[in-house]
Amino acid sequence: MITVEGLTKKYGSTIAVDSLSFTVKPGRVTGFLGPNGSGKSTTMRCMIGLDRVQSGTALFDGKLYRELKKPLREVGTLLDAGNAHSGRTARNHLRWLAMSNGISPKRVDEVLELVGLIDVAKKRVGQFSLGMKQRLGLAAVMLGDPKVVILDEPANGLDPEGIRWIREMLKHLASQGRSVLVSSHLLSEMALMADDLIVIGKGRLITECTVPDFINQYAKKWVVVKSPQLSSLVSLAQGQGMHVSLGEGVAEFHGVEAATIGELAATNNVVLHELSTQTGSLEDAFLEVTADAVQYHGHAETQSKGFEI
Amino acid sequence: MISLIRSEWLKLRTVRSNVTMACFAVILPLAITLLTTAFIDVDSVGDRAVSAVLLGSGSLSVLLFGIIGVLAITQEYSQGTIRLTLAANPRRIRAYIAKGIVLTILSGGLGAFIILVGNTAGEAILDSRGAVGKLSNGDMGQAYLALIAMSVLVSLLGMAIGTLTRNPPSAVTVLVLWPLLIESLLAGLLTEVISEEAYKWLPFQRGLNALLLEDRDMDFGRWGSVGYFGLWILAVSLFALARFKRHDA
Repeated sequence: MITVEGLTKKYGSTIAVDSLSFTVKPGRVTGFLGPNGSGKSTTMRCMIGLDRVQSGTALFDGKLYRELKKPLREVGTLLDAGNAHSGRTARNHLRWLAMSNGISPKRVDEVLELVGLIDVAKKRVGQFSLGMKQRLGLAAVMLGDPKVVILDEPANGLDPEGIRWIREMLKHLASQGRSVLVSSHLLSEMALMADDLIVIGKGRLITECTVPDFINQYAKKWVVVKSPQLSSLVSLAQGQGMHVSLGEGVAEFHGVEAATIGELAATNNVVLHELSTQTGSLEDAFLEVTADAVQYHGHAETQSKGFEI
Repeated sequence: MISLIRSEWLKLRTVRSNVTMACFAVILPLAITLLTTAFIDVDSVGDRAVSAVLLGSGSLSVLLFGIIGVLAITQEYSQGTIRLTLAANPRRIRAYIAKGIVLTILSGGLGAFIILVGNTAGEAILDSRGAVGKLSNGDMGQAYLALIAMSVLVSLLGMAIGTLTRNPPSAVTVLVLWPLLIESLLAGLLTEVISEEAYKWLPFQRGLNALLLEDRDMDFGRWGSVGYFGLWILAVSLFALARFKRHDA
C-alpha cells in the first residue's frame, strides 16, 4: 500500500505538487493521470526521495522510502527508460542494481527472460531501441520482486504487442496482491488496465476513484434513438424542452434518461428501432475533468486566419 | 555496505571509458620510466634521476586518477543512472562513501602497482646495463607512498568536483586547470600582493611537493604536505556531499 499525504514540491515560486494526498491499494492497478506538466513525474520522484519535498510524506506499507533497507525488494520503480548507461551491457546494468540490494545474480537472467531480453543480454544499452530500453527498465523493476510497483509512462516506445504485454503483466502483478501505480497518456490502455484512478492537474488532486465511477461521474451520457417516426419524436421531445441533435436517421437526446424517451414514444405511439444509452470514453471524461488544468494548449490548423496577399 | 561497494566497483569497471583511463594512468608512467631506464646514458645517471622520472610521470597518473573520479560521478548524471543509484540506495551519504571507497581502492591499488612494476622493472633494466642500485635510494620509499596517497586524494577531489558540477567536461576542465593554470596564476598574484611565501599555501603546490625526492622547500615535511592537501580535499568533499545530499537527482 502506498499512502501519500500532503506532498508539496516547489521549484522557486512555482508549485509543482500542491498538498497532494492519495492512496494506492494492494491488488489493484491504479492509473495516475494528468495533463502534461501536471506534476505526475515530479510526484513519483518525490515519493522515492529523488526530489526533496517542502512538506508531506509518501509511505510504503507505513515506511518512508529512505527507511527501506533494501528498497528494490520493496518498491520497483521505472521513471525513465533512458536511465541506463549506454556503454554498459543489459546484464551488467541489472547486475550492479541487483548487487546493491543483495539480490542474487541468478535473478538477473530470470528477469531478462521475463521481459524477453535474454538473447541481447550482452548487448550494450546504447544499441537498444526505446522499446527495448522500456523492457530493460521493467526488468529492473522486477529485479527485487517488489510489493509495490511505480511506473511512469511504461508503454512509451512499445509496439502494440509490447503494450498488450505490459498491460497483461501489470494486471497480473496486481492480481498477486501488489500495489501498482502507473502513469500513461494512453487513456484507452488505462481504461483496459486500471482499476482505480488518481487524476491531478496543476499539481493538485482532482479526483481519486474507480475507473467506472470516474466515467460515470465525468463522461457525458446521451440517448440514441432510431425510429421511422423520428421527426415526430423529436418535435415531441423539443416541446418538452429536451436538447436533441439530429444525425442521419438518428437522434441524440442529451440530459435525459432512456426511460423518459421510451415512455414519451410509447405514450405517443411512436415506433422505436433503437433506444440506447451511450457513455463517453475515459478520454472524454479525462478531457472534461482536466480542461481547467491544461497548461499547454495546441491549436488546430483550421483555426488559422488565412493568408494575406 | 560491502554489497554497495561491490556494486559501485561493478559500475566503474563495466564502462569502457573508465577502463581506458585507468589503462592510460598505468601505462603512461611505466612506459616513460622503462624507456628512460632503457635508453638513458648509464654513466650520467645520478642517484635519483630515474626515480624522479617515475615520480614525475606518476604525477600525470595522479591527474588521470582525478579524471576517473570525475567520470565515476558525472557519468551517473549524464546517463541518468544517478536516479537508479539513489533509488537503490536512498541513503545518499552511504552511496557517496561507497563510491569514494571504490575510487580509493582503485587509485591506491593502481598507484602501488605503478610503483612496484616501474621500480622493479626499472631496476632490472638498469641492472642489466650495469648501473645497479641507482633506482633505489633513501627518500624514495616515502616519496612513492606519497604518490599513492596523492593518487587517492586527487581521485576523491575529482569525484567531489564532479558532484558539484554534475557535468563531465566542466568537471575535467576544473580539475586539470586547477593545478596547471589556476594555482600558477594565483601563485604569481599572491607572491606580488601578499608575500613570496604565500603561494606555498595553495593546495596543489603543497601537495605535489610531497612527490619531491628531497625534503627541499618543505615547510610542512612530506606528510605534512600530504595532510594539508588532504584537508583541502576533505573540505571540498564535505561541501560536495552536503550538496549531493540536498539536491534533486
